[in-house]
Amino acid sequence: MITVNFPAALHPVAGPSLVVRESVSTIGQLIQAMDRLAPGIARELDDPLYNIAINDEILLHSVDARGVKDGDVVEVIPSMAGG
Amino acid sequence: MTMAQSYTGPVSIRARVEQLLSEMPREAQFPSQGATLFVDLERRETATAFTPLGVTRTLLGGRGANMYYLYRLLDETLSPLDPNIPLIFGSGLLTGLVPSAARGNCTSWSPESGVILDANAGDYFPSFLRMNGFDHLVLYGKAAAWTMMMIREGVVSFEDGTRYAGLDNIDLRDGVANDTGGKWARNMAMVNITRAGENGVLTSGIMAGPKAIYARGGPGAKMGSLGLKGIVTIAQTREFPTAQPYKPYNRVIAQKLLATSVVKNALSTTGTPFLYKPSRLLGAMGTKNNQETTWTEGLDAQHFDPFRPGMEGCFRCPVNCRPLNDLHGATPDKYDKGDGPEYVTLGKFGPNLGIDRVESVIRLNNICNDLGLDTASTGSTLAWAFELFQRGIITTAHTAGLELQWGDAAMIERLLFMMATREGFGNVLADSMRAVENGHYPPEAMKYRIAVKGLGQSDPHDARILKAFALGLAVATRGMDHLRNRATLEINARINDNPAFKAELYGGTVSAEPTSYDQKERAVRACENIYAVGDSVGMCRFTTKLFNSPSLPGLEEFRNQLSNVTGLQFTNEELEQCGLNVMGVERLVNHRLGMRRKDDTLPDRWFDEPNPSGPYQGEKIDRAEFDAMLSRFYEISRLTSDGVPQDQWRKELVGALGA
Repeated sequence: MITVNFPAALHPVAGPSLVVRESVSTIGQLIQAMDRLAPGIARELDDPLYNIAINDEILLHSVDARGVKDGDVVEVIPSMAGG
Repeated sequence: MTMAQSYTGPVSIRARVEQLLSEMPREAQFPSQGATLFVDLERRETATAFTPLGVTRTLLGGRGANMYYLYRLLDETLSPLDPNIPLIFGSGLLTGLVPSAARGNCTSWSPESGVILDANAGDYFPSFLRMNGFDHLVLYGKAAAWTMMMIREGVVSFEDGTRYAGLDNIDLRDGVANDTGGKWARNMAMVNITRAGENGVLTSGIMAGPKAIYARGGPGAKMGSLGLKGIVTIAQTREFPTAQPYKPYNRVIAQKLLATSVVKNALSTTGTPFLYKPSRLLGAMGTKNNQETTWTEGLDAQHFDPFRPGMEGCFRCPVNCRPLNDLHGATPDKYDKGDGPEYVTLGKFGPNLGIDRVESVIRLNNICNDLGLDTASTGSTLAWAFELFQRGIITTAHTAGLELQWGDAAMIERLLFMMATREGFGNVLADSMRAVENGHYPPEAMKYRIAVKGLGQSDPHDARILKAFALGLAVATRGMDHLRNRATLEINARINDNPAFKAELYGGTVSAEPTSYDQKERAVRACENIYAVGDSVGMCRFTTKLFNSPSLPGLEEFRNQLSNVTGLQFTNEELEQCGLNVMGVERLVNHRLGMRRKDDTLPDRWFDEPNPSGPYQGEKIDRAEFDAMLSRFYEISRLTSDGVPQDQWRKELVGALGA
C-alpha cells in the first residue's frame, strides 16, 4: 500500500490523497495505477510544475524509473521560482 | 547621429546631458514611443528628447535603454551617492499595453554593491508613467530641500516635500492620496522613499506601491541623495497610438498566461511561497546564513492560507499573484495587515534568521514594506550579523549591548527600525555588505558574507546543489541575484527527463543531473537573454518563458506584439541578440567600475563547506569545475577571458551607444 498526497490544485481530480493497493515497483507504474483510481491524474502530472517526493525525498530527474515500495508515502509538490 | 565627445576627464553631469540631448531625436521614432524626461533637480529644469532608434534596435527599452543612459552619463570618478550620478527610470516597450507587462526598471551606480544598480518593479507606476507620455526619467542634481515631483497629464511640476519627510510608506501613501485627491490604481501612482532612503540606508528601496519595490542595490539611498521624496503621476488611463491594432493579440497572450499550469495552479492561488517546501526537502533552504540548509515544515505555503484574505495584481495583469495578508488582530497595529510575503521574504525572514512562526514572518514582511527595506539585502545583512555574533567575531561591544540570537523576532523587529534611522547598531546594519569596508566588522567577517559583487543573495535557495543556479548567481551583472538568469527549470523533473525538449528550450543539450556542471552555461545564457528582453519590453519575470514554465510568453509573443505596437520588426534571433547586448553593456559599465573575472564568483562557504543536509548532503561547488564552467559561459556569451564583450562586439555596442 502506497499513499500519495496531492496539492490543492489537484484535489478536483484526485482528492487530497490516494491509497494505491496495486502492486507497483516504480513511480511510472504508480502513476498508471493512480490513473486507474483517479482518471486524468496521469495527464495532470505530465506537467513541469509538479515534482514528486518519496518519503520527503524530492526527485529531480529519472523519476518514472525510480523505485517505490509498500509503505512509502509519495507527495506531489508544485515547484516554481519566486521573487 | 553625431559622435559624442570622449570624456577623458571630469565632465559635469549637465555637460554630459547637454551632449546627449544634442544627439537625440526630438520626435518619436515609432508609434507608442514616449519621451525621455531629463530632470535637473537642483535647478528644477527639465528637457525632453527621444531614445534614438538605433539604441532601441540594439537594447529595446526599459532596462536595456536605461543602460544606454547610464553608459553615457556615468562618471566613474565620482561615487554612487554623488548627485551627479543619475538615477534613471525606464518602462518597457510594451509596458501598460500587454497583459502582465506592467514593469519598469530603475538604474544607477549602486551605493550598496559598487556595481550597476538595476532594479525592477511593477504595480502601476511604470504603466502610468507611459500614460503621461514618458518612457524614461533621468534624474540628477540635488534638490535644495525634500521635493515631490508631480506629473499631471504629462506636465511636470515640483512641490515642497518637506511635509512628507520622515514618513514611511503607509503614512506617505495616505498623505499623498489625501492631498492630491487622486486614487491609487485608478489614476495615480507613485514611487517614493521612506526614512530609510532619507537616511542613506544601503538596503533601502524605492517603493512603487504597498509592497512593490525597486529593491536591489540601494535605490532608496540613491533617490534620497537627490533630495527627492517621491514622484507622483496623475492621469487618466489612455489608449496609446500604436502601429497596428494590438488588442486581439493581447487576448492570445492572456489566454496563454491563464492556461499555463504554474499560473492557474500556483501563482493565482497562493503565490510564490510554494517554493519553500521543495527547497527545504532538497536541503537547499538557506538557513541561519546558509550554515544549515533545511528548516521547519511549519513555514510550508499551506500554513499561510489562514492569513491570506485574497490576491492582488499589477496594472492590467490577469494573474494576480500577490498574496495579501491579515493577522486577524494578533498584533493590533498598522502591521496587522499588508501585502506578501513572497518566497524571498519568507526565506530571508524565516529560516535564514531562524524564525519558525508564520505570524512572525508576515509581521516582519509588513514592517519591511512600510520601512521601504529590500527584504533580500536586509535579511542577508541581519543573518550575516547574527552569524558573526554566534561565532564571537562581533560581540555586545559592537552591538551596543544587544544580544543577536537566531529566531528572536522581537529583536529583529527592533533592528529593522534601528536600521531605518541608523540608530546605534542599526547604523552598522544600514551599511549592508560594506560593514567590513566601512570599519564596523573585522576582516575575518568576510569569510561568512553571502554575497557576490557586493550584493547579498536575493533568493534564499542555497545553490551548492544546482550548478546552473550557482553559475547564474556568479555572473549576474547586478550581483548575487536569481532574477537575472535563474534556470529554474533545472528543478523540474519532467523537463530533466525529456532531453530533447530541454535541448530545444536552451538551444542545445544541458545535463539532466542537477549537480552536474555539463553544459549548464547554455541554460544560464538562454535565461539571461530572454529575461533581459522581458525586462526591456516590461514583461513580468514570473510570466516570462523559462523562469517558471516552458509554456509562458517568450520571444515569439514579444516579437509579434512589438510589431503590432511599435511597428518595429524583429526576428527571434534579433531579439535574443538584444538580450545579449543588454548584458554586454552592463558588463562594459561594470568593467568601468572595476569588475573583472574574479568578481564572477560565489561565496567561500559554497566552495569550502559541504551541504550539511538532505539528499545531496556533502555537495559543494568544485573550484576547478566552476572555473571551467565560467570559461565556457564566457565563450558562448562572446566575452573575453576577463568577462567583457570581445573586441568586435564591443566596438559594435559602443558604436550603437554613440560613445
